Amino acid sequence: MTEFFQYIVNGFVVGGVYAIVAVGFVTIYNVSRVINLAQGEFLMLGSMLTVSFISMQVPYGVAMLLAILMVTGLGILMQKYVVGVARQATPLSLIILTIGVSILIRGIASQIWGKDSYSLEPLTGNEPLAIGGVSIARQSVWIVLSVLVILIFLWYLMEKTMIGKKIKACSVNPLAARLMGVSPPRMTMLAFAISAATGALAGIVIAPLSVTSYDAGILLGIKGFSAAIFGGLGSPIGATVAGLLLGLMESLGAGLISSGVKDAIAFLVLIAVLLIRPTGLFGERNVGKGGL
Amino acid sequence: MPGRVKTFRKDLLAYLLIVVLFPFLLSDDYYHSVGVIVGLHAIVAIGLGLVMGLAGQISLGQAGFWGIGAYTSAVLSAKYGISPVLGILAGAIVPGIVAFFVARAIAGLQGYYLAMATLAFGYIVQIGITEWESVTGGANGMISIPSLDVFGIGTSEVSMYYLVWGVVTLVLLFSLNIMNSRVGRAYRAIHKSEIAATSMGIHVAHFKLGAFVASGMFAGISGALYAHYMGILDPQPFGLHESIKFLTMVVIGGMSSIWGALIGAVIINAISEVLLVLSEHFPWLKGDIDTIVFGAILVAIIMFMPEGLVPRLRSWAKKPKSSVRAANRSEKAEMETVA
Repeated sequence: MTEFFQYIVNGFVVGGVYAIVAVGFVTIYNVSRVINLAQGEFLMLGSMLTVSFISMQVPYGVAMLLAILMVTGLGILMQKYVVGVARQATPLSLIILTIGVSILIRGIASQIWGKDSYSLEPLTGNEPLAIGGVSIARQSVWIVLSVLVILIFLWYLMEKTMIGKKIKACSVNPLAARLMGVSPPRMTMLAFAISAATGALAGIVIAPLSVTSYDAGILLGIKGFSAAIFGGLGSPIGATVAGLLLGLMESLGAGLISSGVKDAIAFLVLIAVLLIRPTGLFGERNVGKGGL
Repeated sequence: MPGRVKTFRKDLLAYLLIVVLFPFLLSDDYYHSVGVIVGLHAIVAIGLGLVMGLAGQISLGQAGFWGIGAYTSAVLSAKYGISPVLGILAGAIVPGIVAFFVARAIAGLQGYYLAMATLAFGYIVQIGITEWESVTGGANGMISIPSLDVFGIGTSEVSMYYLVWGVVTLVLLFSLNIMNSRVGRAYRAIHKSEIAATSMGIHVAHFKLGAFVASGMFAGISGALYAHYMGILDPQPFGLHESIKFLTMVVIGGMSSIWGALIGAVIINAISEVLLVLSEHFPWLKGDIDTIVFGAILVAIIMFMPEGLVPRLRSWAKKPKSSVRAANRSEKAEMETVA
């Protein structure tokens, strides 16, 4: 029974990270109808840059901050010089474009850091907390906290601020938004910045629990995307819930069935959702099949 | 229309000449083996070109079909002693059936949904191959897969080269004919506007399914030939990296051109070989140089030359005599052929 609770706790922690990635996808999608398939690379870069800065004797917190800032800058550059330039591209071209960016980043990362795996020190100590027989890594607490902070921040930004209203206006009707003095490209850039920053942070907090390497982004990206579809592409709440559920299923599947199938679970969930309910858990009806 | 047929013939003649003469021009086993691999990739790329160019859909799991074909034939011949010829047949049929069910299942999906569903499919195939150890040998792979050996074909590099390019030629002719037939026009209509195509009485789902199944079968044949050619298999080459390589071939050559997929396979393999040599001379190139190059190609092509190389070269070749009137004329001719 303790084991079972252990799986649930682990699942929630990893699921939180998937939730952040998923929300990153949704943020960009809502403004620009673009799915940034390089989202996973933001996570990888966040963690790898932090590792590098720390090895240069930069204090942990500063290293994190620098890494997040750099990845955010990259997100903005990507929007400005790649995705934004190809605005008129067909959906098929946009998919190829963001895949291209993603493998380009991965290739460059493999040049900089090689093919080795790196580990990142946990933020606070190694000895796990024990609550009723269930052991929880201290880092897990940090992950959960970061997830909460990010989600609350995004919720506040979207629901309570003028910027949120502008972003929503662009997603509802870009032309009308433009007429009201909102610049959709600028909002898209903001969305890229937000999802790059949150992605980088997610990558940094998850790295101490697993190892990180140049190719760590792809799997996290795909799982985040699975969660975004599972929750209903376009719905931040759906993405969060689905991310947590996905983490839970994965953890239980790995624990109760076999660890080899762990990664297949996300894909099976993705395909199952696409088949049974393409609109996802919380999706709008018209987002559905070809809603792109 | 007559003009199109004539260029079609000219293209084919040039193609056949190059293919037949290549082993004599570069009579070294190294070039022959590169030729075999290029041919195997070209078969997959042409299939993917049908899916992307004709049906306007994307598949990021093409290496999955490739792998299913390879392992089907390898397992049948190495474990059950079935002749490799029958194995290759099965290596075409099994991925075809899988593609049929995959396509049926995801028929309603488009764009990102389809991209991710096919990507997930590719991953599941690779994980499946790795985990199904009792049959596939798992991560360690399979060894001593019998070579083809039909009347001596398949035992030497040159005979394998001609066999593979024979298959390429068949696949190419099939695809070119489809392109230039009523079916091809239906596909192009679907690509332009699915709604308009439907209203003209074209059964869109039917055609997409056909393209997908054909691409799965092509990939399967290529995979089966690959298995017997290599003699060993492991799950590593059947993942996302290879799928993206196939995608890059189609994109660089031109998504709406069958020749483009073929040329793309040649270009990408040439780049891979050059990079291999470079990385031997420059040991500091420690990572996946090819990943950088393919990524850059994908981005650059979509941004600056979305139609791809082959259509662009064609339009350059025609430029000298093209005035506005000529352009109008060709447009008119185009409309007539479509009508």
